[in-house]
Amino acid sequence: MERFLLKNIDSPDSAGIGEYLRTGGYASLKKAFGMEPADIIAEVKAAGLRGRGGAGFPTGMKWDFASRDPKFPKYLICNADEGEPGTFKDRPILEKNPHLLIEGMVISAYALKSERGYIYLRGEYPHARAVLDKAIAEAYEAGFLGGDVAGSGFRFDLSVHQGAGAYICGEETALIDSIEGRRGQPRIKPPFPVNVGAWGKPTVVNNVETLANIPLIVSMGAGRYSEIGNPECPGPKLFSVSCCVERPGVYELPMGIPLREIIYEHAGGVRGGRELKAVIPGGISTPVLTPDVLDCPMDFVNLPKRGSMLGSGAVMVFDDTVCLVRVCWRAMRFFEHESCGKCTPCREGTGWMRNILERMEGGFGRDGDIELLQDIARSIMGKTFCPLGDGAAGVVLGFLRNFSDEFMYHITNKKCLAESG
Amino acid sequence: MDIMDEIRDLSRKYPDRRGALLPALYVVQKEAGWLSQEALDTVSRALNLPQATVKGVATFYAMYKHRPMGRHLIQLCTNVACMIMGAERLVDLISGRYGLEPGGTTDDGRFSLVIMECIGACDRAPAMLVDTDFHADLTADNIFEILEKYE
Amino acid sequence: MIKVTIDGRDVELEHPVTVLEAARKAGIEIPTLCYFEGLSPFGGCRLCLVEVEKLPKLQTSCTLMTADGMVVRTETEQIRAARRSMLEFLLINHPLDCPYCDKAGECELQDLVARYGPEAGRFAEGKRRHPESFDDPIIVRNMERCVLCTRCIRMCSELQASYSISVTGRGSHSFVEPFSGGRYDCEYCGNCLTVCPVGAIMSRLHRHSYRPWFVEKETETVCGFCGVGCSMVLQMRENSIIRAIPRRGVGFNEGLLCARGRFGYEYVEGGEELTTPLMRVDGELRQVSWEEALSFTARRLGEIRDEFGGGAVGAVASGRCTNEDNYMLQKLMRFVIGSNNIDSAARNYYAPAQIYLERIFGQGITANLIPGIANSDGVFVAGGDPTAINPILGLKIRAVWRSGGRVVVLGVPGGLKRFVPYELIPVPYSEEIVLSAIVGRLLERKPPGGANAALEAKLRDLRIPSDDELGSTGVSPEDVARVSEDLSSMSTPVVVIGPDMVQRRRASKSLFLLGAIAYLTNARIFLLADRPNYQGLLDMGCLPELLPGGRPVELEMFRHKAEEALGMKVPEQRGLNLFEMIDGAESGRLKALYVMGENPVFNLPDGVRVEKALGSLDLLVVQDVHLTETARLADVVLPATAWPEKEGTYTNLERRLQRVRKARRGKMASYGREDWRILADIAGRLGMTKTYQRVEDVWEEVMHVSALHTGLGYEEMDGGRALWPYYGEPLRGMEGDFTVEGLDGLPEVPAPERPYLMIERPLYHSGTFSRRSKALLAIQPGPYLKMNPELARRHGLTGGDKARISNGRGVLELEVRLDDDMPDNQVHVANTFEGFAAMRLAGFGTDPVTGALYMDDNTVRVEKVLR
Repeated sequence: MERFLLKNIDSPDSAGIGEYLRTGGYASLKKAFGMEPADIIAEVKAAGLRGRGGAGFPTGMKWDFASRDPKFPKYLICNADEGEPGTFKDRPILEKNPHLLIEGMVISAYALKSERGYIYLRGEYPHARAVLDKAIAEAYEAGFLGGDVAGSGFRFDLSVHQGAGAYICGEETALIDSIEGRRGQPRIKPPFPVNVGAWGKPTVVNNVETLANIPLIVSMGAGRYSEIGNPECPGPKLFSVSCCVERPGVYELPMGIPLREIIYEHAGGVRGGRELKAVIPGGISTPVLTPDVLDCPMDFVNLPKRGSMLGSGAVMVFDDTVCLVRVCWRAMRFFEHESCGKCTPCREGTGWMRNILERMEGGFGRDGDIELLQDIARSIMGKTFCPLGDGAAGVVLGFLRNFSDEFMYHITNKKCLAESG
Repeated sequence: MDIMDEIRDLSRKYPDRRGALLPALYVVQKEAGWLSQEALDTVSRALNLPQATVKGVATFYAMYKHRPMGRHLIQLCTNVACMIMGAERLVDLISGRYGLEPGGTTDDGRFSLVIMECIGACDRAPAMLVDTDFHADLTADNIFEILEKYE
Repeated sequence: MIKVTIDGRDVELEHPVTVLEAARKAGIEIPTLCYFEGLSPFGGCRLCLVEVEKLPKLQTSCTLMTADGMVVRTETEQIRAARRSMLEFLLINHPLDCPYCDKAGECELQDLVARYGPEAGRFAEGKRRHPESFDDPIIVRNMERCVLCTRCIRMCSELQASYSISVTGRGSHSFVEPFSGGRYDCEYCGNCLTVCPVGAIMSRLHRHSYRPWFVEKETETVCGFCGVGCSMVLQMRENSIIRAIPRRGVGFNEGLLCARGRFGYEYVEGGEELTTPLMRVDGELRQVSWEEALSFTARRLGEIRDEFGGGAVGAVASGRCTNEDNYMLQKLMRFVIGSNNIDSAARNYYAPAQIYLERIFGQGITANLIPGIANSDGVFVAGGDPTAINPILGLKIRAVWRSGGRVVVLGVPGGLKRFVPYELIPVPYSEEIVLSAIVGRLLERKPPGGANAALEAKLRDLRIPSDDELGSTGVSPEDVARVSEDLSSMSTPVVVIGPDMVQRRRASKSLFLLGAIAYLTNARIFLLADRPNYQGLLDMGCLPELLPGGRPVELEMFRHKAEEALGMKVPEQRGLNLFEMIDGAESGRLKALYVMGENPVFNLPDGVRVEKALGSLDLLVVQDVHLTETARLADVVLPATAWPEKEGTYTNLERRLQRVRKARRGKMASYGREDWRILADIAGRLGMTKTYQRVEDVWEEVMHVSALHTGLGYEEMDGGRALWPYYGEPLRGMEGDFTVEGLDGLPEVPAPERPYLMIERPLYHSGTFSRRSKALLAIQPGPYLKMNPELARRHGLTGGDKARISNGRGVLELEVRLDDDMPDNQVHVANTFEGFAAMRLAGFGTDPVTGALYMDDNTVRVEKVLR
């Protein structure tokens, strides 16, 4: 497939504005200034773009809500807090194609009548920080940011706000708290950020990849854009493929591509020709699946039917050498570490589950541990303040639904099925 | 530029001074590698925020350090992909070579080791940051080649 | 109208509220931990989960707003199971140390587990450990017990607006901490103790000494520290106070207290209370019987009255004593001994300020409701830090800021520092010029409407300073413009006046200018009161010129009414005020002084002079709880009971009458007698025929004598209806004639070489009672010399050094404390601690117009004490 989002990234100068302009960059911006803001929103709606951060909320609808709110100023925030384990899809855009993101943000801001934008970049991406700072400076220099963007009279200021190591800040209200200089904890909704967001003003938070799609929609038009991939949720999609494959990496592919194609055609198949045991389709907080899911189209519509989610499109492939108890334990350690502490079930439950899994993995599993884990997870599920706790519970329930034998083996034999196999 | 001015300058990017809190904490952390009570107080005064508020925010985020760190901070990812690709073995190797446990600092103050949650380099796992330098595709063979460059 | 169905009950709501509030309205109790009425919703504990039809997941009722047609169930098996799970989660890291924990018995977590289970925990891993923190003398933190409901954090930031604690860390390693991680650097309001549902934040005052169910008796009373008059409950065990707590729904303080109110009660049982009357025999105070002391006192008073006339006797009333006590002292003086020489320490500022403002605007001008401040859109403060003098009133000012209003402070903002948009700190004693400039600007912006002709006539004569003339004040014309712009933009402003605007030369002009600001902006006036009953003693007639009910003694009509009511005579001429009495004692005109609950030697300026004056009296009677500096000079000392040991009433600064109730009684209570009883006994010995059995009898007489108090019995007070203007319209608007000193001039701003000594009014102490509270002493153990670092540097001083301040009146050696917010050329010392009477070093005079005290010649030499 033709690459749109990762166009040019193989060029050594791909991050520079010169290279970007040379390959047609900022043309969509100029086109957008010829359109009415409302028309751009309508175009994004018509294109059927769904948020690429994980939840898959229709972007045009979000924009519509924010633009209908009479309050000003409005803020546009790019969520570049890519912290979901297994996910690194935004990184190539941030590090190698930053002007695509900036162009997307300026167009979005114009559509939303926002004059101030922030890129909330995770603290763990220091290189991306340097690249973005440089790209923003170039964009100011070239007149694509600032008081009079490309001579249109439209004003838009943009800067990077760096996070400092908190996965929860990927949740948009926690992210807003973090930009405001607070402990990044999710806020009560409603009100939603589109009405009461950063500093109490209407705020749109969009993922990097989502915003990078905007220039594409403007240049192609909604009609042509929506022909890419699954018509129900169209567009190009970045998949990060990792763990036990021959060629891990980020792949730009049409939405709805079967999982099998991603793993076997693009990522080179399971490493060393080993047997595929399990796959997490959308980042660590999406439930693990068995190989019989290989023909499922990878999109927001079909994966839920198979008991998981597209999430961030982070495909984690596990072969038969991987101990899934250990993977589950490590995932839970992550959730425990990242739980913000606001609500009871997530704060206390993730640690409890990690404790049990740690025991189990260390050969000290007890009878009843599996039932206890399931019970804890069910007690968390649906009762947490934000989706982080649900994610943690879903991970445990997913592993136990599909691989309970391996967990049982661990308890009974005090060792790993993978090692014995 | 005076550190107070630098912090106040940051706050111009935000509609209120509190917005500059996270960047301000980075500014003071850059000085000593960690955030002492004095450093937190500096931020509190520069932004006219209550001390307790500043501390509450600073301790929420994992990348702000609240004890002295070594000259070089090794931030090694051991999350699922890195773990599968051998990060835990690297932890053992580092421990063996430098006597450095996760969360600890070498006696000579050269290195501190912190275990990171995913640093978004799963395709080139295992990976780490040393200070702000990114290193990936780590192996038992190249890990010390890299680390030894940091005095 | 919103209609919702909760557990089958239809609930109709005028405005959308949360499901939780709607349920409570319908009498359905949904369990909660993180919810606390008055604090913002949090939604963290997940115990208030309910089922809502058409919503797939359980919802937290504390955050979900009701919508028309909503159908809610609050107790189904699914909900009970969820609550059980949440409690099981909470108990993972919560130690099961209930037998050791002081909270047991009133622990919300314990109660919830008893109601919902689990019967047994399944958590078989190691619990999180976090050592209990004893770093603070007052508050013990046990973060293992913390359930992270954040009620304390929200209390501290939203209502107290102190921002002294925060959650540190993340996830299950989140802990509530002050900045230091150990000792608190906070206002010690203790309101976090009120809201903590578990034993995570607890008071150390009675640690491990009782269980909640050991509380034998609760007494609802009013705080005895300041003029706000917060309601509180004293919890008693074996006649000892184990806790002073606020209660929501009782009193207007809405469940809030300050450091003094919550922790300062211990002074009443510190062991230093007087146990018997004392009499001077051969130059020494010796213990004597009550009979001996009372008969001696009555005999001597009678002799002096008979020999020199009633005018040779004077009395000092007390802002800490009840209305009944003060009334009785006034009766003894006026009607029995025949002297109008009665005054009190309210003379310092409160009484003259109020009388003067009432002369301009009419009686009751300062009788405004404290809770109403929070509804204002702006506050102008001058003359003191309300958050220290009247802390709960101060919180209402912070609330104005919180709801977007503007707070402007003339002078050092102190506890309002975080809430003022800019600082406005004039050079000492130049405030009058700044205020004149502000009034000048306001007159341009808001021409007066003609309602108060006398005031407006004076305004026409007011000398408005030019921009150049502002030069000496340190306040720029731009600042003045900004303030007047802010003031004129307020639609419901409040003007708060503190002591420092009164205790100065030309007090009348400062008060007139503040009154003019209030008049021009249509503001309500509040006068800060650092004693609980300053207002009451004025209303009881403890003033040389006013009878009970505020009626001038020199007007025959009023005098006759009083004489008729009591069947006794009153002298026609006004009496001596406090300072005139000191003069009188010095000159020998005054022979006897009866001091009730006051410590003039310590609390008045120029203590050496006061001491000498009192020493030359023929008779000094001191009636007090402790052997104070003044009592040590007395011929007779009569032990009185303290605030929690007596019945009576206080009138707060909003003129709300409230009941003070006896909590301690019996053998453990001090040996003193109620002030009014001692006075009635002496009056009886001097010929008063009326007798009183109970305190109600005294009050009935007050209602009979004072027109202000007609028909205002204890029953009305209990119903919260005893509030100025009681049953009628306020009397304000009856402005009379008044004088303003120096209206058409501008004062020279003095520029002394040596710094001024100013009196600090600390949050943690008040007067000389608080220094007997172990808790308050633990918070602030002693005095210090506060100054800014630049001034310190000029004197070769730094924080922690010992410095000597001195002038012709005395010497004090104090530890230096640096404070960036202090203006230049002044040092502050609290007038509280034994041996550190700062007032002693100040000279004083009496303002010719208002009769207020003014500090004079109060500069000091500052030098380092070399060790």
